[in-house]
Amino acid sequence: MRSDTMGTYRQQPGSKGSETRRDGKRVAGKQRFPPPGSGGSDPVMRPRDLDFIPETVGGREAKPAGDHIHDRDRTGTTVGKSIALVDSNAKVTGQAWYGDDVRLSGEIIGKILRSPHHYARIKSIDTTRVEALPGVLAVATGQDAPNRFGVLPVTKDEHAMAVDKVRHVGDLVACVAAVDEATAVHALSLFDIEWEMLEPVFDPKKGLEDHDEPIHWRGKYHLARTNVQKRVFQEFGDRSLVNSPRASSHGSWTMSGVHHGFTEPHAVVAHWDPNGRLQLYTPQQVPHYTHRALSTVLEVPMHQINVVRTFVGGGFGGKSDPFPHEMCAAILARKSGRPVRITFDREEVYWINRGRHPSHIDVKMTADDEGRISGFDIDALIDGGGFASFGHVTSYYNGVLATAPYELGSFHYTGARVWTNKPASGAMRGHGAVNTRCAVEVGLDEMAESMEVDPIDLRLANLLPPHSRTISGFRITSNGMREALERVREGSDWDEKFRQMPLGKGIGIGCGFFISGSGLPIHWDPKNFPHATVHIQVDMDGGVTVHTGAADIGQGSTTAVAQVVAEVLALPIEMIHVRSHESDTSPVDLGSYSSRVTFMNANAAIRAAIGIRDQLLKAAWEMLGYHPNVLVLNDRRIYYKHDPAVSISYLEALHKAQADTGALIARGAYRSPPMGGVHKGAAAGLAPAYSFSAYVAEVDVDVETGLVKCTNVWAAHDCGKALNPLAVKGQIIGSCHMGLGQVLSEKMVYGRTGHLQNANLLDYKIPSVHEMPHVEPIIVESSDPEGPFGAKEAGEGPLLPILPAVVNAVYDAIGVRLRDLPLTPDVVFNGIQKHMKTNGLDDETDLSPPRLQHGPLQAPLMERAAEHKERDRLRQRSEDTSAYVNGVLFGFDPNRPLSEQLEGWREADEPLPEQLAELGFAGRAWLKKEQRQMEDDA
Amino acid sequence: MLMPPFTLHHPQSIEEAVSLAAELIGKDEAFDWVAGGTDVLPNYKWHINPKPHVISLAAIADAHALSTCEIGCMVPLASLTSANGVHPLLVEAASKVASTLIRKSATVGGNLCLDTRCFWYNQGEDWRRSIDWCHKADCGTGADCRVIPNQNTLCVATYQGDMAPNFMVLGASVVLIGPEGERTLPLQEFYQLDGMKKNVLEPGEFLLKVVLPDDVMQREGCYQKLRVRDSWDFPEAGIAASWVPGQMESLTIASTALESIPRLHADVVGEHMAPRSSELDVIALSKAIQKSVKPVNNTALPPRYRRSMVKTLTKRALQGLFGER
Repeated sequence: MRSDTMGTYRQQPGSKGSETRRDGKRVAGKQRFPPPGSGGSDPVMRPRDLDFIPETVGGREAKPAGDHIHDRDRTGTTVGKSIALVDSNAKVTGQAWYGDDVRLSGEIIGKILRSPHHYARIKSIDTTRVEALPGVLAVATGQDAPNRFGVLPVTKDEHAMAVDKVRHVGDLVACVAAVDEATAVHALSLFDIEWEMLEPVFDPKKGLEDHDEPIHWRGKYHLARTNVQKRVFQEFGDRSLVNSPRASSHGSWTMSGVHHGFTEPHAVVAHWDPNGRLQLYTPQQVPHYTHRALSTVLEVPMHQINVVRTFVGGGFGGKSDPFPHEMCAAILARKSGRPVRITFDREEVYWINRGRHPSHIDVKMTADDEGRISGFDIDALIDGGGFASFGHVTSYYNGVLATAPYELGSFHYTGARVWTNKPASGAMRGHGAVNTRCAVEVGLDEMAESMEVDPIDLRLANLLPPHSRTISGFRITSNGMREALERVREGSDWDEKFRQMPLGKGIGIGCGFFISGSGLPIHWDPKNFPHATVHIQVDMDGGVTVHTGAADIGQGSTTAVAQVVAEVLALPIEMIHVRSHESDTSPVDLGSYSSRVTFMNANAAIRAAIGIRDQLLKAAWEMLGYHPNVLVLNDRRIYYKHDPAVSISYLEALHKAQADTGALIARGAYRSPPMGGVHKGAAAGLAPAYSFSAYVAEVDVDVETGLVKCTNVWAAHDCGKALNPLAVKGQIIGSCHMGLGQVLSEKMVYGRTGHLQNANLLDYKIPSVHEMPHVEPIIVESSDPEGPFGAKEAGEGPLLPILPAVVNAVYDAIGVRLRDLPLTPDVVFNGIQKHMKTNGLDDETDLSPPRLQHGPLQAPLMERAAEHKERDRLRQRSEDTSAYVNGVLFGFDPNRPLSEQLEGWREADEPLPEQLAELGFAGRAWLKKEQRQMEDDA
Repeated sequence: MLMPPFTLHHPQSIEEAVSLAAELIGKDEAFDWVAGGTDVLPNYKWHINPKPHVISLAAIADAHALSTCEIGCMVPLASLTSANGVHPLLVEAASKVASTLIRKSATVGGNLCLDTRCFWYNQGEDWRRSIDWCHKADCGTGADCRVIPNQNTLCVATYQGDMAPNFMVLGASVVLIGPEGERTLPLQEFYQLDGMKKNVLEPGEFLLKVVLPDDVMQREGCYQKLRVRDSWDFPEAGIAASWVPGQMESLTIASTALESIPRLHADVVGEHMAPRSSELDVIALSKAIQKSVKPVNNTALPPRYRRSMVKTLTKRALQGLFGER
């Protein structure tokens, strides 16, 4: 009998059977418990994969950008390997449950009555006839839930249903729940409503003017009687640099609104359970915002609500607001006592919108004698539609996200977002940065042309280095912009093609810059509460359950979290189970927007996983007698670094660690470091890291019809470190598709009567597979010092460069600058006809595409780019840790405030009186006063 | 989106179909014919002029005829292949209709009888309520046309079928069957310039098949379709041209997606006729065709642009015909 069985259970049947002691007494048989866990389904332990262990810690993975704090947490298990997303099986077999797949017993169907008017006051609603209809179980109107909500705490301007006024065609008026859809649809025709028509506004320029009945009223903060929701003024630098430029570009752009075009329409199921708690099933990117808004609107404490995020059939920003229909379902369910399901028609999807803002953007740029960007003026007037949504942020992003990757002599931005009687604009992939980025990159192309230099060399000679600050105070850490530009130049044979191709064939360049997570969590101070929290639990069976609030919207956030946990614990990914669907079990998290998930959640997950790992290593220390510092984890085993024969299995260590405590629990959190300036709006655009990208696009233009076909794209994106290269490539290719839609065919068409004319997927023209070019995704890894294993975002940034790359390529093909997006064939055709008329040409085939003869500035720019390349390498690898701020290129000392060094330096968030006369469209919002100032004057 | 309920009928023969139609007319009950359903059913889902009865032609054997000179109304567009002996121009045109998936269901008859389209009309019910309806689907309000206001006599919705101009330039006729018997018309006479009436079909009458001349294979043709995307999209303008190689007098040109009907431009072609293709003033002819059509603003691209493109498309279609010679 072994001594270690002392004190264990007796009377167990087992193979050993009973035995008779020497004194003749019979002792019952006993058996050790079988191990409760398993070590994964692969019976063979995999050898340590040195190709995926950084060279800095003894592996073979090259680290050209220098070492990383997470290198010693690498086990070569999954990070950097192309793996299928962990939820892909559910999706490809049709078993993933999306919003409309939720079926609860006894459910009834909710339908929403929508406004047929652009702008009207509801004088009365009579629901008598609706309530009398057999089969109708609940009716609700705006009066049932008068509390306002909104995605941003500063702009809560939405109601579950219109309380006083409807603000666009399709705005919610009332809702009804009935035993079936046909009854609910019939019931909608029985509302008796008295309307008072109001004068609608459709043109955002008109929104700047005073109106009898502004769409919303902000009291003493309301800007005169206009429909301006937000105005922004930002100025940095010395405007005198703008005088006597070597080259300049002024582009006035009109960009149509575009919609996310996600596959799954909005759908929601609400159910008040027997304990009176609300269970709300919804495909949400940010369940937490819905959670908060529901609490406000329903006047129920948050802990009495469980928001269940279903699988999300595409979001792209369009499912990140709390939505009124989610409130409606909850109200109807409460009234009827039955689960209520509301599923949108596509038309309703377009009416709730939250797509990219229709924009009028003016970009003026100047370059000085040395080819430096001395002046950089942006004016963005954006059309917000009927509600604020994310618009407060969008108003800033249209300017501030253009302050990199280039070093600027000065920066001047005026932005305004106006309410109009159209479906509300909001956040969409590349939030706020896409339109201005396009205008800026095309402006650079134009300046390069007038300076007779190659536009790629112009960019390479003006880049901010790694570990620097932008003119507005953003902290740039890793920066792979230069490598991205170099690699697309090489991959596309740029030097053989640019300005050398025949008429109708063109090539163009565009760059991008985007936040990797917003530095400011909207609803709380990051000093008081972290951005993201992850809980990990490991029980006897060895499986690792990860609780996170990160919402997988198809981008692979669940996979990313699973991967980093698997990497730290050296476990096969099948042993990691991510639970992220329910707010009851998920830590509070801001969900999936602003490209924050990989950076923030994976960082939190790494910390939690390290917590589990340390408990395992401590147990192994006790069992093996070697300190954790000399223990190595590899595929379900822990062994002594210098003698792998001295080892224990993961399960043995786990059970040892659990001996006293039961299941292992750990939590990890992420908060961004303090950063940024102190000026008004300094937090907008702040991020713990930024992604960079450069694309080259090749197009064919049919000069007779104006049809543009993008044939090839070389797409380089700096994502820091590709945790899953397959997923990163998918994001790059998907971004190209989405951006191509915006630049070539997609637009929300508002006709002469202000109605959205194409609220369906036939007339809203998302490119088909035939329009998709060959995309060559190129991953640049700059190893971000604060990113999880060096990673940064890859979901939104890759969209930005495709627009300007295509627009510049069209210019290269036909020699006509076009600034109306999308470049539908009629826009291109009209542009060509106008150009021919101006230049006295009769035939389209007489057009002459532009040619480039390098001017005197080309050589100095190339020389400067070469110097900067070495500068950047040293800074990236932290071999040069000197300070660098925007302005060093212009000869200033980075260690002293620029305002001390330069007399004309100005940092302002309001225009000077003498500036008012020269402001652009959006800037004109500054000609008006807020009500409180008007009162003061009176 | 909920389809309004309707009764679906499955007549097994032409006679049964015709008598069923006559019976419903007698009872004053409205109905629609359905072949592949890819046009009528989406409209039903949008509650655009739904009827209480729908008569399917699927079980009628004659409607499935498929040979070089005879194509039944039930033949799916995907079956218009060279292997089935179909004229190459029709194969080309069919391959440009909608998408692969839709072509499996969509039929020749359905494409020829396609409902005219207009962005004020092809919308959901809530949407159309927000514009107070339109002339074509006025829901009993007597609403005005939204494309050209202040004229509520004519609907100007656009015919956007791809097959019709191609059948026309090949000299096709259509066989119609109804309570009054059978009649055969040249395809160009089948259409009627009114976005609501669309064609000459009498109540209870349906298009059974298309008949092509015996010598149709001597003809060569070219179809130019203007659209933003190479899948799904209806034509924004379309020009078909055909001739018997070397015989200038055989030249035919037809257009689609520019008016409420597809149109065969026999007069214009006649005016510009030349003894040899090399002597034909292609530009003048293209301009004349452009001049003869007047698209209105009710499709995805602006009418001015679509009209400008008629010239280019005609030029390209003719170059496609004469190019190799």
